[in-house]
Amino acid sequence: MASVYIPVQNSEEEVRVALDQLPRDASDILDILKAEQAPLDLWLIIAREYFKQGKIDQFRQILEEGSSPEIDDYYADVRYERIAILNALGAYYSYLGKIETKQREKEDHFILATQYYNKASRIDMHEPSTWVGKGQLLLAKGEVEQASAAFKIVLDGDRDNVPALLGQACVEFNRGRYSDSLELYKRALQVFPNCPAAVRLGIGLCRYKLGQFEKAQQAFERVLQANPENVEALVALAIMDLRTSEATGIRKGMVKMQKAFEIYPYCAMALNYLANHFFFTGQHFLVEQLTETALAVTNHGPTKSHSYYNLARSYHSKGDYDKAGVYYMASVKEVNKPHEFVFPYYGLGQVQIKLGDFKSALSNFEKVLEVYPDNCETLKALGHIYVQLGQTDKGQDFIRRATKIDSRDAQAFLELGELLILSDTGAALDAFKTARTLFKKGGQEVPIELLNNIGVLQFERGEFELAQQTFKEALGDGIWLSFINVENKSSINAATSTLQFKDMQLFHDLESNDHHVEVSWDKVTVLFNLARLLEQLNESGTASILYRLILFKYPDYIDAYLRLAAIAKARNNILLSIELVNDALKVNDKCPNALSMLGELELKNDDWVKAKETLRAASDATEGKDSYATLSLGNWNYFAAVRNEKRNPKLEATHLEKAKELYTRVLIQHSANLYAANGAAVVLAEKGHFDVSKDIFTQVQEAASGSVFVQMPDVWINLAHVYFAQGNFSLAVKMYQNCLRKFYHNTDSQILLYLARTHYEAEQWQDCIKTLLRAIHLAPSNYTLRFDAGVAMQKFSASTLQKAKRTADEVRTTVAELQNAVRVFSQLSAASNLHIHGFDEKKIDTHVGYCNHLLSAAKVHLEAAEREEQQVRQRQELARQVALAEEARRKAEEQRKFQMERRKQEDELKRVQQQEEHFKRIKEQWKSSTHSKRRERSDDEEGGTGEKKRRKGGKRRKKDKHSKSRYDNEEPETDMMDEQEMEDEEADINYRDEPQTQMNDDAEENAQGLLAAAGLEDSDAEDETAAPSSSIARRRQALSESDDDEPLQRQTSPVRENSADMQLSEGEIRDGDKTNGDDVSD
Amino acid sequence: MKLGGIKSKENAHDDSVWAVTWVPATANHAPLILTGSLDETVRLWRSDDLVLERTNTGHCLGVASVAAHPLGSVAASSSLDSFVRVFDVDSNATIATLEAPPSEVWQMRFDPKGSILAVAGGGSASVKLWDTSSWQIIATLSIPRPEGPKPSDKSGSKKFVLSVAWSPDGKRLACGSMDGTISVFDVPRGKFLHHLEGHFMPVRSLVYSPYDSRLLFTASDDGNVHMYDAEGKALVGTMSGHASWVLCVDVSPDGAAIATGSSDRSVRLWDLSMRASVQTMSNHTDQVWGVAFRPPGGSDVRGGRLVSVSDDKSISLYDYS
Repeated sequence: MASVYIPVQNSEEEVRVALDQLPRDASDILDILKAEQAPLDLWLIIAREYFKQGKIDQFRQILEEGSSPEIDDYYADVRYERIAILNALGAYYSYLGKIETKQREKEDHFILATQYYNKASRIDMHEPSTWVGKGQLLLAKGEVEQASAAFKIVLDGDRDNVPALLGQACVEFNRGRYSDSLELYKRALQVFPNCPAAVRLGIGLCRYKLGQFEKAQQAFERVLQANPENVEALVALAIMDLRTSEATGIRKGMVKMQKAFEIYPYCAMALNYLANHFFFTGQHFLVEQLTETALAVTNHGPTKSHSYYNLARSYHSKGDYDKAGVYYMASVKEVNKPHEFVFPYYGLGQVQIKLGDFKSALSNFEKVLEVYPDNCETLKALGHIYVQLGQTDKGQDFIRRATKIDSRDAQAFLELGELLILSDTGAALDAFKTARTLFKKGGQEVPIELLNNIGVLQFERGEFELAQQTFKEALGDGIWLSFINVENKSSINAATSTLQFKDMQLFHDLESNDHHVEVSWDKVTVLFNLARLLEQLNESGTASILYRLILFKYPDYIDAYLRLAAIAKARNNILLSIELVNDALKVNDKCPNALSMLGELELKNDDWVKAKETLRAASDATEGKDSYATLSLGNWNYFAAVRNEKRNPKLEATHLEKAKELYTRVLIQHSANLYAANGAAVVLAEKGHFDVSKDIFTQVQEAASGSVFVQMPDVWINLAHVYFAQGNFSLAVKMYQNCLRKFYHNTDSQILLYLARTHYEAEQWQDCIKTLLRAIHLAPSNYTLRFDAGVAMQKFSASTLQKAKRTADEVRTTVAELQNAVRVFSQLSAASNLHIHGFDEKKIDTHVGYCNHLLSAAKVHLEAAEREEQQVRQRQELARQVALAEEARRKAEEQRKFQMERRKQEDELKRVQQQEEHFKRIKEQWKSSTHSKRRERSDDEEGGTGEKKRRKGGKRRKKDKHSKSRYDNEEPETDMMDEQEMEDEEADINYRDEPQTQMNDDAEENAQGLLAAAGLEDSDAEDETAAPSSSIARRRQALSESDDDEPLQRQTSPVRENSADMQLSEGEIRDGDKTNGDDVSD
Repeated sequence: MKLGGIKSKENAHDDSVWAVTWVPATANHAPLILTGSLDETVRLWRSDDLVLERTNTGHCLGVASVAAHPLGSVAASSSLDSFVRVFDVDSNATIATLEAPPSEVWQMRFDPKGSILAVAGGGSASVKLWDTSSWQIIATLSIPRPEGPKPSDKSGSKKFVLSVAWSPDGKRLACGSMDGTISVFDVPRGKFLHHLEGHFMPVRSLVYSPYDSRLLFTASDDGNVHMYDAEGKALVGTMSGHASWVLCVDVSPDGAAIATGSSDRSVRLWDLSMRASVQTMSNHTDQVWGVAFRPPGGSDVRGGRLVSVSDDKSISLYDYS
């Protein structure tokens, strides 16, 4: 056993002190040392021995005694040993300061250490070990630069001073200059190959930091060879093992970590790693214990931050968001810059999202993003936050960035799609499709919600086939296949029950036949959407079965009832439809959709008062927030305003005002509500503000194009009405025709009636008649159309007869048309004996009478025209004959001249001179005879025709004059009209106007007939016949009246129908969103 | 089964073509196609190449219906002015002009034996039966009025008769009306039997299966074709698929398929064994008002033929196999 020998003063003897048997009380030894005035190095050795044995107090006692002023005096010349003692004390206090966790005592220790070192320095300024000590102290205090200066002083003196080298290496390491640090460690090792393990530890750490993991590992292993209990090396190796991320590596790492923990349970690093491990293995209790210990033993910011982070994570995963938030916050506080340790920010952000503090979460995630600008999760989280904060655009940007960075993140595309649904369905669809492809590529099952959304979007874009495929894919295998697939249809014989909308027998049968009738909850929406799609594809039978399947399993699914009701309504089965809506109301008697639909059905059934009540109830059920119910009420008021033929101006004004108010209310809530805008424009048009209403209609029309769910033929019609009212007939015609083709498959006789009326006003009689005939063909039981056709024919005939110039063919057509008119009217008159069709018999009789009168007149006209034609023909014939005669004469003359010439030539030679006079005489004679002949002839001609004319004129004078005066006002003979003509003309005007008014009224009646205001058809006709003189004024009035009315009357039912569809389809989408929305928030 | 387009005749008429039927072959002529149009003419066309044989004039207002006698020598055409003109197919000589005021005239059909012409009487809520030898009315089949009609109610027009069909044995006659009800009559006894319910919109066309006197196909404005057991008053099946009104229906001579024409501009072929649409022809550009299969018989039958006419003024001929 090692021992020291204390020389006894003034003798050769020595006192042997066995180092392992140092007395418990240091005073004993001190006494000896003092008494024998032992050399100071012995003091040091003994003190060190105490230290090694962990007897710190004794150690300190000896050293303090050894550095007391007495000793200084006594050993004044023994400088090195004194310095060594002071340095030892300095190092001791440095160490205390370093490990002390309480700030004040730490300071105290450092102050003491500084004092000792300063004292040592006073003994010898240049003692390297003092500088090394000071350097260490400064390092411990964290003053890296000053420490470096201290070590430098030493190294300048002795570049191989090992402690200084180590100190400097440490400095460089802290500065992050790992290669410099590594050089220094290496040099220290070269100088002093047996130096402690710490050096190799340093080398290992440097290499680790430099990324030279294998060499680092070797270094650590060397450390462990030298000292198997070296915690740092163990931890370092363990970390390196953990880094491999392989099961075996992790297991090895954990074994080492555990060993380190057993050796020294207070290494914060090890504790953190262990906690981390247990976090992943889910042993949260251990995590908390370990991290709490770690927190207790360390003061090192980053390490503490780690510990807090572990703790927070643990609570986070347990769902204790409040605690997790607190610890994340603590962790964040320990981090100076997010760059050093960013995870707690992320965690904090997540917790804040959960707690609804989006603004704070936002700033935290943004910090994470600063560090990792390309982190998809962060981008997605940010996108989500922005959406929650209502900044959809920004949200989209972030998620789009995420999808760009990681183009294989299906979830990101899913979220992007959901964001885009509201703004850009096309892009949303693309995003969803990408997500679907990614899910498939990844071998994952594509979520049903995703497929549902894709399907709905495809549906909305009119890609029905694709949508159907998508829905089927979403539904997968199930009982529904037997209803959807054509091949299986006959086997189940579903068709038989297609019309029994409430029949569930089918499903009971299926169940009793061991078929599994099951619809899982997540597929109901898809099934509903598919049924809706089938409706759109006109497969309403199959759709009805699917709806019933839904109801069979989920009897509270109101929308399915409503759709069934809608199908029934489309088939005009109003009673069944009402029954189905009532079923829906049994489920929820406040369901605004069902109430609205009921109101509409009641309107269809002409139950005005009930309808109003129902609509009110619908409006009340939503506290006036449901624009549909408000709109319906607005429409109700509108129709109430215009339904009555005998208008009460006051009532009309109130109703209109009320309608306007309701429309406006909707518009205030939803400025983009097309139907409200349409309604408001209609009211405006009603009041005569055509320009404004036209603008609105045009805008609504533009907005309504583009989606299959928005079908607004009314706005086309209304626009056409406005054009019509403004006299722009050609545009109105185009508009009506387009509307008819686009929305009604050319099947709407009402629009044809509008079209006919436009033609009528534009005086395009043939078009008008043809249009009316088409309308009759479409709606054979509408006798009013026949009446209108009759009127149009009559009007056509009258106007033809009024023309100044007309051919016999025209007149002939006129006669035919008039005969048709007479037939039409007389048929009507006969038919109206059987039924009531909305017009007066008397009126028809008047028309028949007038037509017959016109017919007889026309026959006369026809004769006249034919005669005229004949005359013309005769005249032409005559002219031709005259021309012929002239020609013949000229020829004869030429012939004569020629002969004369010849004769002249012949005779010339013989008797040029002799017969000259004779010749002249003959010539004279000839000439005069031709002249007179000519004159005579032309006289004849004139006389002849004149006579004929006269004769004819005499015979038919009256008629002639009549027609002239009637049709040719410039003729001066006008005033010569006789009474008969006057009468004629008056009658003519009379009739001419009458039909027009009637036409208007008819149109009104028609429209109002739809509204079924009972007993509408009253004495209007009588009024007309009674006051023909004011007919023009009346006409105008009637015109403007009907202009306004027709559009309006039209409007109701389609608007409602469509908006009902609209709402339902909206509902679907909303439905789909809801499910997805939940997913997102998860 | 399949339809193959053979030929289309654009501008076959000057205006919408509303009616079409086949005139069976006789000793004098091969099967002919008879069409009626809004342009007030009735035209005869040679089959397969659609060459115009003759144009008959004489009608006022549009021609709404045409019918051919099963023997092929006599045909009838009717127009919106409610006159029926019966004429000789070969000579175009008018045989008779029929009218029965105040009843108007819609669809007409000769019975399978050719002894009776049934005429849908529109607002008179009846079908008139004309004897084809004397051209006198032999019976009026009236639809019984629903009980207690209100005087102001316009329901009178709801039983407006649009279409008629004869059962293959000639004993039954069905007619379709504006309100969608179908009425079945016992012709020999001149008696109304019952209504068939299911449609609530106008039934513009209906036809019996050639082999089954009970099976009736109806086309309605509700877009569906119904199959009824006309005796058992039962709805046997529904076929949906058209996007708009179904305007016309005809059954193939083999009884295995029906063809329909619709306002959605398409002609559809339906396989009755699958009860599903197997083919959609969309060559017309406007409403298809008439479809007709060529009746069996005749000397030179080369497979089945289907003809369709449309508001687009054209006639289309298809091969049916």
